[in-house]
Amino acid sequence: MAKTADGIEVEGTVTECLRNATFRVELPNGHIVLAHISGKVRKNHIKILPHDRVLVELSPYDLTRGRIRYRYRS
Amino acid sequence: MNPVHSSVPGTDGHPLVVTRLSDTQWHAVEDDRVVGHGDAARRPDGRLFVSVDAWHGAVFDHIAAAMAADLPAPLHAVTDEADHETTTAWQRAGFTPVRREWGHLVPTDPQVTGLGTVRPPAGVTIVPAGEVEEGPLRALDAVISAEVEAGIGWPAMPAQVLPRPACSTVLDPSKYAVARQDGRYVGLLRIAPLLRQPRIGLLAVRADHQRRGIARALLAHALGTLHRNGTATAWAEVAESNTAATALFEGIGARRAGATLELVRH
Repeated sequence: MAKTADGIEVEGTVTECLRNATFRVELPNGHIVLAHISGKVRKNHIKILPHDRVLVELSPYDLTRGRIRYRYRS
Repeated sequence: MNPVHSSVPGTDGHPLVVTRLSDTQWHAVEDDRVVGHGDAARRPDGRLFVSVDAWHGAVFDHIAAAMAADLPAPLHAVTDEADHETTTAWQRAGFTPVRREWGHLVPTDPQVTGLGTVRPPAGVTIVPAGEVEEGPLRALDAVISAEVEAGIGWPAMPAQVLPRPACSTVLDPSKYAVARQDGRYVGLLRIAPLLRQPRIGLLAVRADHQRRGIARALLAHALGTLHRNGTATAWAEVAESNTAATALFEGIGARRAGATLELVRH
């Protein structure tokens, strides 16, 4: 887990794509966060699927929410 | 650079300051903490696309306003249609939806697609990916690109097929299957053979060879190959305005699985 100037970033694995443009992401510690895609990822038309490894920025206001900032190449 | 936009009350009563960090990047700081980002990027077709990430709508609004003040119009943005919060935020910033692009899950099983018995029209053969000659492929790509520019224009096409600065959409010839007639390539299909889910990036036929079943034959070939290799579905994006492509994909059992909205601010 890394704390950047922007907040806490952590790697995780997408477990489910939900219908409202959000994703369930499982973190290495077993916690599940509800994440949406960052604007930059969306702008670059990067598709997120179950089993993808992603970098999630956790919300400083609610640690169960996050934003997918990067999808790692499988 | 570093022009600082006006300081306004933030979400916790602390001043919120939006700063332009570079030609393409902005951030918002509140109480010494970065609480939002803005990013701009120009697509190969020349259009300027912007994005904003913020945990609060008010921060989103301030970053979007700063970017709109700093950048020349028109500005474009994309959202997932199901993401009502972001779409509404862009609309608050003066953006209006101008285009919708459907994402389709495309089955590969010939029993489902009905493409098992489809053959190319008389005189046409399909050249599989990996056996395509680069020179004729680029020549066909140039013809089709010119037809797009003279017709609906690149902005109406999915972002994945936009021509690159070298004025060619061909990045990797090995990803193309083509239809050949009389020694000349007349149609092409590009597929990104991703393990996680192959993506049909471009399917196009020369205008003077359309309505003969060539696109359908290219699809039958490509999807049949994926099926034999154990892939159950592929992915394809189609602009809502492209009724012919939509009919082609939905006619073989493709299922809409989401939509991308493009918005513009003039």
